[in-house]
Amino acid sequence: MRDIKISFVINGEKMTVEIPPNISLLDLLRDHLGLTGTKKGCGIGECGACTVLINGKPVNACLVLAPQINGKDIQTIEGLGTETSLHPLQKAFVDKGVVQCGFCIPGMLMSLKALYNECPVVNQQEVKKAISGNLCRCTGYQQIVEAGESVSKKGRNKR
Amino acid sequence: MMRTVGRSVERRGAKDVVRGKALYADDIRVDGVIHLKVVRSIRSHAIVKEVDTSVAELIPGVVKVFTSKDIKGSNRYGIITKDQEILVERKVRYVGDPIALVAAETEAIAVEAARSVKVAYEDLVPFFTIEEAKGCTTEPIHEDGNLLSSRDIIKGDIDQGFAEADVVIEETYTTSMAAHGYLETETGIGTLDERGRIAIYVSTQNPHYDQDDVVAALGLRPHELRIVQATTGAGFGGKLDISVQGLIALAIQHLKRPVKLRYSMEETMQAAAKRHAMVMHYKTGARNDGRVTAVDVRLTLDTGAYASYGLAVLSRAAAHAVGPYEVPHVRVHGELYYTNRIWAGAMRGFGVPQVSFAHEGQMDSLAKALGIDPFEIRMINALKPGSTTATGQVLHASVGIGETLKRVKDAKERRERNPEKRHVKVRPWVKSGWGIASFWYGIGNTGLPNPSTAQIHVDEKGEITLYTGAADIGQGSDTVLLQIAAEALQVSDKDLKLIRGDTGLTTDAGATSASRQTYISGNAVKSAAENLIQKLAQEASSQLTVPLPEIGYESGEFKGGGKTVTMRELAKELHQKGQIPIGEGRFDPPITLLDKETGQGIPYATYTYGTYYAEVEVDTGTGEVSVEHVIAAADVGKAVNPANVAGQIIGGVAMGIGYALMEEFESGKTRSLTDYLYPTSMDVPPVEVIIVEDPEPSGPFGAKGVGEPALIPTAPAIINAINKALNTKILDLPAKLERVMKTVLKSPCSGGI
Ligand code: FES
Ligand code: FES
Repeated sequence: MRDIKISFVINGEKMTVEIPPNISLLDLLRDHLGLTGTKKGCGIGECGACTVLINGKPVNACLVLAPQINGKDIQTIEGLGTETSLHPLQKAFVDKGVVQCGFCIPGMLMSLKALYNECPVVNQQEVKKAISGNLCRCTGYQQIVEAGESVSKKGRNKR
Repeated sequence: MMRTVGRSVERRGAKDVVRGKALYADDIRVDGVIHLKVVRSIRSHAIVKEVDTSVAELIPGVVKVFTSKDIKGSNRYGIITKDQEILVERKVRYVGDPIALVAAETEAIAVEAARSVKVAYEDLVPFFTIEEAKGCTTEPIHEDGNLLSSRDIIKGDIDQGFAEADVVIEETYTTSMAAHGYLETETGIGTLDERGRIAIYVSTQNPHYDQDDVVAALGLRPHELRIVQATTGAGFGGKLDISVQGLIALAIQHLKRPVKLRYSMEETMQAAAKRHAMVMHYKTGARNDGRVTAVDVRLTLDTGAYASYGLAVLSRAAAHAVGPYEVPHVRVHGELYYTNRIWAGAMRGFGVPQVSFAHEGQMDSLAKALGIDPFEIRMINALKPGSTTATGQVLHASVGIGETLKRVKDAKERRERNPEKRHVKVRPWVKSGWGIASFWYGIGNTGLPNPSTAQIHVDEKGEITLYTGAADIGQGSDTVLLQIAAEALQVSDKDLKLIRGDTGLTTDAGATSASRQTYISGNAVKSAAENLIQKLAQEASSQLTVPLPEIGYESGEFKGGGKTVTMRELAKELHQKGQIPIGEGRFDPPITLLDKETGQGIPYATYTYGTYYAEVEVDTGTGEVSVEHVIAAADVGKAVNPANVAGQIIGGVAMGIGYALMEEFESGKTRSLTDYLYPTSMDVPPVEVIIVEDPEPSGPFGAKGVGEPALIPTAPAIINAINKALNTKILDLPAKLERVMKTVLKSPCSGGI
């Protein structure tokens, strides 16, 4: 199969690459762009470890064919906060001792980022729902939900 | 006042994880890496007549196809029984046994080539159940027959015990196989390092064992192989066995090129160890006042095609079979069989989650028969200091089971007094109930030495580094061991560097299993710190010209005779003299071997105890169970890092909910996370964590362990709650919809709270 050329914005940066047309977005990120923060768990859309945002919405990168992102805006864990200035969600995860093995964590954070893209005020139930497609075998979710909710802007949640 | 131990300090490496910077084995990039793919058996029990690799080898991009003929060593491995082969020689024993290994330039080519390796089999009679394995008249699975081992524990006189009983409860409980369910599959990447060694960065719980077994299996010399534990995406016992290590080493041995192997999730399900299925026959006698007089147990374990940790699971299950209670007359007999199902090994709890389902089911049945409250009957029988266990061990201290019962009861009553917390639903078809379960868990290997070693080094700039072979698989040992070192050295944990889990740089700390790293490696680390202080004090004594006994140490400073010298100054001085300041530590828990016939002895130096409470709602129309609330109390001796302990407990509860209600691994059927479902964020209730600290005198700052214990009482508490809600008795795990519905239909009336 011949390589095809696609252009997209990734973590705020414009990019054009030539890639085989049959690879997944996950393999594009991990194997071609070196963005290994997005994890490969099941590879079949069941675990959420590969969650990234396309135009602000969460998707399982293992289920998306790379050419589908042509012209889209992609955000991965590498675009969330920096070493010196963590995103509030990242900071909450660190401060509240949420991380165990950590393999689910990038995906969890991206799902929560998507939630906050929609609404800055959320409650625990909404946080639980937002991460319901992200499996975690270690934490039992409670500390993740608490950390996820802790960055919600205070105020009435009318949704 | 302790400054670091007992505080929820930031987890080492957490910032890297949240930024996606932590390097798991699959994230390590090496140029020119060769990809591996395993050709696996599609038969359960068969002689391998021929492996034809000729077609595969012609595919462009294929570098080599390996078979057992390429293996120069013993080709045998296994943590206890060396019955497994890197690539099988004569026969396969389950669907998934590795037969050949393809090395290719890309993963896609390796996958394609693996499909074109042709294997000719001659089928043998397979044994899929323990009954079939027992009745074997044809070729057994392994040479010595299908019975792998048995274990007995005998205390007192079982007949006398039943003669003293006013009530006897006899039941048979069963549990299914379960999968660990970690999200990171078995993965490793290896290269020849600058010294010409095969260096493998791998997801593992047991780097030093990996090295020993791979070296022997492949005919390498110990210094030719280095195992480095990469950041590991959890293990729960599943990464204690060798998976990719031997295959990667084999390929590098021949190709002298970097290679990589990552199991697919399907492969993890098909070809990595599972939790043992058990059949547990219990006969328990008690007096009218609630005192248990006799427990008679028969355990039958299915270890599948290979032994793995089977023996350890059997020994531990037997040692824990009566639960955290003092019983005068005990008889336990356990047998472990091979079958041609997937092999079973270590999984969080090593057989104790299974037996706790049975012993806690028995406790509730006794309570019901005698009209005694479930808390009360457990309290009457609970171990306490001075008690003698089933193996004849007299407990001296840190026996917090009674306290966990009391604290859970208080929390339950508080909850009942607070009406807001208990939302009332008016759905007559939904029955609710509550249940409790208690447990104990011995820390470290059962009746076997299992030492850990550690070093603490100070460089010429005064920088302190802890060296430990202990693998942190997400449970948090890095942080906990640093906290223990920091506490002993009276410095901040942030000031310490860490080198861990690298057979080239660290010494053996034993496996990350049996919830042993906090207690055993923690003690090794603490003694390394003390040894370092002692050595530096000697130097301080000569520098300050003050006799050694007058040298005091405080927070990085040695004082004596009104003078002070810092650790940094001493280290610099020593380095200049060509002496390296390094503290050495070792700890092996004080245990005894268990008597072969009676199982009597001291299997563990200390135990973690606990009691969980669960509230459930059961939809009697569908059989659906929802867990509404959990109160979880565990006596961990001392919580070195309370947030971490809470994390272990809440995570254990979630895993226990899966074990109780959802998870059943069907050998040969279950394929991936599509059909092996475990709890999501929507399936877990609020968990109220109660940390009880009854300090263990021999523990580092009083600590014991929590990793596995956290799981154990969850399922029995949930099942006891369902039993109460439906006025029934569930005897088989998991209580999936169909099983619950069966009991709904059988039960004449459904009680509840
Ligand atoms: S790796 Fe994409 S959902 Fe599991
Ligand atoms: S922290 Fe291990 S899977 Fe979530």
